[in-house]
Amino acid sequence: MIELKNLSKKYGNLLAVDTLNLRVSKGEIFGFIGPNGAGKTTTINMMGGVLAPTSGAVMICGINMADQPEHAKRKIGFIPDRAYLYEKLTGMEFLKFIADLYDVDEDRFLKKSQEKLDMFFLSDRSNELIESYSHGMKQRLVMAAALLHDPQVIVVDEPMVGLDPLAIKMVKDHFKHLADEGVTIFMSTHTLKVAEDICDKIGIIHKGTLIATGTYEDLRRNVHAEGADLEQIFIRLTEP
Amino acid sequence: MKDIVTLLRPRIFSFKNKGLFKNDRGRRVKLFLFGTIGICFWGGIFATSLRVLIYFKEISELGDILAYKLLSMILLTFFSLLIFSSILTSISKLYLSRDLSLVHSMPVSSFKIFIARSIESTLDSSWMVIVYTLPIFMSYGIVYQAGFFFYWDMIMVILSLVIIASSTSVILVVLVVNFVPASRMRNMSIFFGLCFFLILFFAVRFLQPERLVDPEVFSTALVYLKSLKTPAPPYLPSTWACDSLKAALSGHIQHGMFHTALSWTWAGVMVFMAIIIADAVYFKGLSKAHTAHVRLFRNRFSGIHFRGLLPGPVGAFIFKEIRTFFRDQTQWSQLFLIAALVVLYLYNFNALPLEKAPIKTVYLQNLLSFLNMGLAGFVLTAITARFAYPAVSIEREAFWLVKSVPITLRRYLWIKFFIYFLPLLILTEILIIATNILLKVTPFMMALSTATIFFLVPGVVAMGIGFGAAYPDFKADNPAQTVTSFGGILFMMVCAGYIGAVIFLEAGPVYNIFMADIKERGLTVFEWTWVTGSFFLVFVLSIAAIIIPMKFGEKRLSELKV
Ligand SMILES: Nc1ncnc2c1ncn2[C@@H]1O[C@H](COP(=O)(O)OP(=O)(O)O)[C@@H](O)[C@H]1O
Ligand SMILES: [Mg+2]
Repeated sequence: MIELKNLSKKYGNLLAVDTLNLRVSKGEIFGFIGPNGAGKTTTINMMGGVLAPTSGAVMICGINMADQPEHAKRKIGFIPDRAYLYEKLTGMEFLKFIADLYDVDEDRFLKKSQEKLDMFFLSDRSNELIESYSHGMKQRLVMAAALLHDPQVIVVDEPMVGLDPLAIKMVKDHFKHLADEGVTIFMSTHTLKVAEDICDKIGIIHKGTLIATGTYEDLRRNVHAEGADLEQIFIRLTEP
Repeated sequence: MKDIVTLLRPRIFSFKNKGLFKNDRGRRVKLFLFGTIGICFWGGIFATSLRVLIYFKEISELGDILAYKLLSMILLTFFSLLIFSSILTSISKLYLSRDLSLVHSMPVSSFKIFIARSIESTLDSSWMVIVYTLPIFMSYGIVYQAGFFFYWDMIMVILSLVIIASSTSVILVVLVVNFVPASRMRNMSIFFGLCFFLILFFAVRFLQPERLVDPEVFSTALVYLKSLKTPAPPYLPSTWACDSLKAALSGHIQHGMFHTALSWTWAGVMVFMAIIIADAVYFKGLSKAHTAHVRLFRNRFSGIHFRGLLPGPVGAFIFKEIRTFFRDQTQWSQLFLIAALVVLYLYNFNALPLEKAPIKTVYLQNLLSFLNMGLAGFVLTAITARFAYPAVSIEREAFWLVKSVPITLRRYLWIKFFIYFLPLLILTEILIIATNILLKVTPFMMALSTATIFFLVPGVVAMGIGFGAAYPDFKADNPAQTVTSFGGILFMMVCAGYIGAVIFLEAGPVYNIFMADIKERGLTVFEWTWVTGSFFLVFVLSIAAIIIPMKFGEKRLSELKV
C-alpha cells in the first residue's frame, strides 16, 4: 500500500533522508521511530506530497506521488505534527473546508463530521473559533479532519504529542480498529510505548538512514538481546 | 473551478467571523478612525485633481497636452505601484504563508492552489491602489465632460492593468524563486522591495514633475511643447491604457475600444503564461522555499565580551533582543527605509530657499526650528510605533518564558525601555541638531530644542512600551503590524497630544523671549513667571509621561493570563 523507493531529501548540503526503501502492506500499522532530527518529519512530508523529494519516489496504493499527486493525496489522511489551522474559522467551518477539498458530498459530510466530532470529544465546541481551542483540541481537530474522507492510508507525524491519556487511548483504539478494517497506517513517534502497543512493524531511522526494520521480534533478534524491550533496542541501535 | 472557490473560502469566513465572535471596542474605534481618515484622503485627492484639471483646461491648447501628459505619468505610476505591491504580496501568498503545507497535502493540483493564491494576492495588492486612483480618473471624466463610454472604459482599462501587473509579477516571482539559491529565499522580498523603491525614487526624480507646471525652465515654448509631445514607449501596457482613455475622453469610441482590447488580449496572454509556468515549476520552488534560510551575517554580534558588565537577567534580555533583531531581516531591513526617510527629511531642509523668503530670516528660522521639533517628534513617534510598541508582542509564544523566569514584570518592562531609549535618543538628537545646523538657528533655540528632545524621547518610548504592554497581541502573524490595533492607535493619539502639549507650552514663552530680544528690553516679572511656569509644567508632564504609561502597562500585563 505504501512504498518508498530510494527516497532522499537534501536541505542545502544536509542529507536529511538518505535512500530510504520501505514497504508497508495493507492493514498494517507501521511505527517509524528515531531520535530528534533523524528525518521522520521530512519523510512524512514527502509522503504527504507537501515536500518534493530530491530523488526517489513515493508510491501510495500503487500511485506515484510525483506523477499523480491529486490521485495519491485523495487516498491519504495526512496529519502533520504542527498543523496550521485557520484561527479565525470555527471548527465546523474548518472541517467543511477540508471536506470540500476532498470532494466529500453534503450528506456524507454531515454524517461523518458529527461522528468524528463526537469521537474526538469536540461536538460541543465545534461552533467556536479555533483560536479559542487548546493545543490538544487543535490536534484532535486536525485528526478529525484527516479522517473525514475515509482514507485508505493514514500518514501521521507524532500523533500523541499534546493529547491527554483518554484521547491517547481513544486514538490508539481507533487506529487499531481502522487497521482491522484494512486501512494502512504510517506513524512516526518517539513515544516507544505507543509503538510497542499498536505497531505491527517498526522502522528505526537514524541520521536519515533506516537502520532496522521488522516486527518487534525481528528487532530483538537483530540486536541479539532476547527479552529486551523496545527502549533498550532503540538505545542500543542509536547510541553514538 | 469549485476547488478554487473552496480554497478561497477560509479567507472569506475569517473575514466574516472577525466581527461575529469578538465584540471588542477597539474594532469599532479603529474602523471609525481609519474610515474618517480614508474618506478625507480620498476627498482630498478628488478635489486636488479636479482643481488641477480645471486649471489646465483654462489654458487653451497647451492645457490639453499638459492634461494628457499628466494622465500618462499617472498611469505609469499606477502600473509600477501595482507591480511593486503585487510582487511583495505574491511572494508571501505563494511561498511564505503558514497554511501552505496544509493546503498542499490536499488532493488539489498545485496549479489550482496557485490560481487561488494569485487571485487573493491580486485583490490584496490592488484594491488600495485602485480606490485611491479612481478619483483622479473620475475627475478627468468630469472635467472633460466625457460620456458613459469613458467610465466603462476606465473600469475596463484599470482591470486589465491590474491583471497584467499581477500576472507579470507572479511570473517574475515564480521564476526567480527557482533560480535563487534556496538559502537566500527569505531575503528576496527585501531585495525586490529595495530595488523597486530605488527605481521609483529615481524615476520620480528624473521626471521632475514640478517642471510640468513651470514652463519657464524651458528656453522656448517650442522646446517645451516638443518635450511634452514625445510619445510614451508603445510597448508599455500603461501606454495602451493611456491611449484608450485619451480616445474615450475625446469621444473616439472605436479607437478607445481598440486599445482596451489590446490591453485585455495581453492580460489574457499573461494569465495563460503564468498558469503554464506555475504548473511546471511552482511546487518545485515551494519545496525549495521551505528549506530554512542561512543567516546573512554570522555571529558578528556575539556580545560575549560585554556580558560580564551587566547583571544576569538584564544582559540576557538585552542580548536576546539585539540578536533576534539583527537576525530577522524583515526587522532590520526597515532601518534602510527609515534611513531613506531621514535623508529625504534632511535634504528638504537643505533645499529650503531661506534667503529668498520675504519675512525676516531670524524670525523664520526660529519658527521653522519649532516646526522642526514637532516633525522630529513625529519621526520619533513613527519609529517608536514601529519598534518599541511591538516590543512586548514580539515575544509571541515565548511570553510564558518571561512570566516564568525570576524577574519582575516591572524590571522586564524597564529593560525593554532602556533597550529602545538609548538608540532612539541618539537618533533623535542627531536629527534635531543636524536640522538646526542646516537652519542656522540661534544658540538659544539650539539649546532649547536639544533639551526638549532630551525630555521628549523617554516619554514617547515609555508610552510605546507601556501601551504595547497594556495591549499585547501574541497571536499576530507579524507583530510589527500590531500598531494598527486599538492600543497602537491609542498610543499614537496620546503621543501626538503629549508632543503637541510640550510644544504649545514652550511656544508662548519663547515668543516673548524673542520679542524682548529683538526690542532689546528685559523680561517683565509676569513674563518671567510665565516662562518658569511653562518650563516647569513641561518638566512635570515629561516625568508623568514616563511613569504613568509604564505603570499602566505593568498593571495590565500582570492581569493578563497567558
Ligand atoms: N526546513 C528545513 N531546512 C533545513 N533543514 C531542515 C529543515 N527541516 C528539517 N531539517 C533538518 O533535517 C533533519 C531532519 O529533520 P526532521 O525530519 O524534522 O527530523 P525529525 O522529525 O525526525 O525530528 C534535521 O537535521 C533538521 O535539522
Ligand atoms: Mg519531527
